[in-house]
Amino acid sequence: MALRVSIGQYYSADSPIHRLDPRVKLIVTVLFMISCFFVRDAATLAAAAAAAGATAICSHVPLGRLAAQVRPVLAFLIITSVFNLFFIQTGDVLLSVGLVSIHTDGLAAAVLFTTRFALLLIGGGLLMLTTTPTALCDAFEAVFKPLERFGAPVTQVALILSIGLRFVPTLVEEVNGVMAAQAARGADFEGKGALAYARACVPLIVPIFASALRHADNLGRAMDARCYTGGAGRTHYRVLSFTPRRDLPFCLGFTAYLTVLVALLAI
Amino acid sequence: MMEEAQIVIENAQYAYGETAALAGVTLRIRAGERVCILGSNGSGKSTLLQLMNALVLANSGTVHVMGIDPAVADGALAVRRQVAMVFQHPEDQMVTSVVADDVAFGPENLGVPSPEIAQRVEAALAAVSMSDEARRDPADLSGGQKQRVAIAGALAMGPRVLLLDEPAAMLDAEGHREIHGVIDSLSGHGITIVHVTHFMDDALAADRVVVMDGGRVVMDDTPARVFEHREMIERLGLGLPFHLRVAHALIERGLAVPPVTDESGLVLWLQGQMQGWNRPQRDSSAAHQIQTAHATGAEPPVLQDGHLVRAQGAEAALVFDHVSFSYAERGNRNAPAALTGFSCSLMPGTLTALVGRTGSGKSTVASLACALRVPSSGTVKVGGIDTTDRKRRRELRRLVGFVAQLPERQLFARTIFEDVAFGPRNLGCPDDEVGVRVRTALTAVGLPADEAFLARSPFALSGGQRHSVALAGVLAMRQPILVLDEPMAGLDPAGRARMRSLLLNLKEAGTTLLLITHSMEDAAELADRVIALEAGRTVADGSPRTVFGAAQPQTPGIPAALRLARSLAGAGILPAASEPPLTLGALVDAIAAALGEVGPDGVAR
Repeated sequence: MALRVSIGQYYSADSPIHRLDPRVKLIVTVLFMISCFFVRDAATLAAAAAAAGATAICSHVPLGRLAAQVRPVLAFLIITSVFNLFFIQTGDVLLSVGLVSIHTDGLAAAVLFTTRFALLLIGGGLLMLTTTPTALCDAFEAVFKPLERFGAPVTQVALILSIGLRFVPTLVEEVNGVMAAQAARGADFEGKGALAYARACVPLIVPIFASALRHADNLGRAMDARCYTGGAGRTHYRVLSFTPRRDLPFCLGFTAYLTVLVALLAI
Repeated sequence: MMEEAQIVIENAQYAYGETAALAGVTLRIRAGERVCILGSNGSGKSTLLQLMNALVLANSGTVHVMGIDPAVADGALAVRRQVAMVFQHPEDQMVTSVVADDVAFGPENLGVPSPEIAQRVEAALAAVSMSDEARRDPADLSGGQKQRVAIAGALAMGPRVLLLDEPAAMLDAEGHREIHGVIDSLSGHGITIVHVTHFMDDALAADRVVVMDGGRVVMDDTPARVFEHREMIERLGLGLPFHLRVAHALIERGLAVPPVTDESGLVLWLQGQMQGWNRPQRDSSAAHQIQTAHATGAEPPVLQDGHLVRAQGAEAALVFDHVSFSYAERGNRNAPAALTGFSCSLMPGTLTALVGRTGSGKSTVASLACALRVPSSGTVKVGGIDTTDRKRRRELRRLVGFVAQLPERQLFARTIFEDVAFGPRNLGCPDDEVGVRVRTALTAVGLPADEAFLARSPFALSGGQRHSVALAGVLAMRQPILVLDEPMAGLDPAGRARMRSLLLNLKEAGTTLLLITHSMEDAAELADRVIALEAGRTVADGSPRTVFGAAQPQTPGIPAALRLARSLAGAGILPAASEPPLTLGALVDAIAAALGEVGPDGVAR
């Protein structure tokens, strides 16, 4: 019954990936996620999988934690695969039973779309698992700083992201607490039908909202007390620095992957 | 230097909407002072503290902090650069997921250059003994550790004044001691400290105690002089520090105890009394008999094979039989603590206290007892129903009630009536009975039950009242077994006293009670049986006397009465009894008995 959330939680370890300049990680991750959309056959899929796999191994993140990044959308992935499998009617027929037939293109799409979406999630997950919210927030700020000239509140958005991630475990704990308390008062969270279900959720949702607002209020006061006034005049504890000895091998590795991918696409 | 006033408040008034929080406060705080602010819930003490940090600005009157008027442009920021503040809830003060980075947040905002931030972070963490945890995630730390990080975050800003708003209210006894130690050491280094607290014993260490009531300062003096006004302190819903409660109880017995400033003063006086009199040879067993008789009052419950039996033939209401629980996903920080081979059976009309450090498995026991989790092995039976039997879950809910930690967080309905009625309606009670139950439950927790009150929103109430409404929401279900997880957390002394008498009434009415508590005093005072857990295993189980009286108690602390009794025995005032007193009443009886043998007039009786 208890809610379990592991998305976006930092996994504390000391690996080459953890030590990378967060700006490098952020840019590379975004590029990798874009590159996943260009995966279109077995060869390109293998290249992307190799790149993600190598990074995952270097990061020392347990396989279970990585798999957890995909779990929330697993059902969605399975359903789309099934759709692809049965409804793409091009290519050679592999199997035909009555009205149902499976074609090669359908099978390819089912495997390809699912795997590349999973790779995309794992890429994003690796960034979150190996980068502290603070570092991520600093990197985000540094990378998008130029947008500030056009009036985008980059620093504020970065801090909002960091605090949002920081409060995930706190809110999860609270949801579980309220669920337990209301269940002990005889609340039934397995209401039949949409309306009954929605009604059953009121005793859960209202306290969670109240609690989120209370946290926000307390946190705002605590940040005020600690002289937070926004971006101007703020310094940074951790100065972001691009260290060639640490960051260059990773960049070169990623460039190699991109080269292979482009070459495979060009063939 | 000592004469320099850092904070000067003259006739300050402040109101939240229509409610006046401060009704004309005048106060000066000098450099290096350690000031404690006491007051019941809603007395305005937190608002006063926020006034000193420019988090609220006075509606009228003047405020100067470090010579700065916070109301002028940029005044608030200038004040906060020199006056740092730590709040009640540690988790609401952490902005990020690494301890060191969080401590750095304040200096970053102040624009301190990076190399200096690193030095400040290091020094601040060292000051609260948290250097080894610098790389950890605050979410994985204990409450006391988190709060120390929050204090380090304040110190890293290099403040001259540190404001603390009930920093230990949400912590266990160990966390409370940690925070107290940190405050002692900071105060020793000359930083000005203003500390709002609900714990009277904290106030003894202060140079000065300010007592608030109804938005005004009603007392402002040294701790010793403030606590001389016992009647006024009690009328304000506050209590006395432990040694003064003992002294007062002795005075009520006709002993002429002079005003004493601390515990050693009391011990010295008692020692003088004993030596002053020509002590006859005495039979120390007589003193024991008196103590025991007073300590337990009613017929003492007996332990048989680890099962508590009050009346022969009665059936256990809640039975744990070799229960183990482990969480499949290891390393998940939301996971409850594991439990190994836990057995006990609780009889109707008894109160069992479950004690242990944070993470020892206490809350796991509570959730297993309420069928919110099921055991990995072993069985839990509630009124004979196995908690794994899902078909009888509805029936089980009628039998066992659960008061969660900070129950006010579970309020949700539009009106107080609807919220309290939620439980009884889920049990399927007819409307007229629901109405009766709601009113009785609200009366039991000391709230009005008239129509106007019932129609109010629970969110519009004060913190203490919200707690009571949530409690009524559980009591209205009238379950014969009640599990309570830290019901006293965050309450003021009056609230704690109300809770204690409510528990005793429930016990009297035959309810089976399982109380998780951090307070060894509550365990000694209220419980028939104490179970101590450590890392998911039972390390002690028995009557309060056997558990606390052990040569090396396995509990996270011992009751204040026992601690004082031991030091009195060490000073030769009390006989080194095999059955030392555990409660205030028993301690006073023992002292009176020891003195009584010689008599206040020095004549042997």
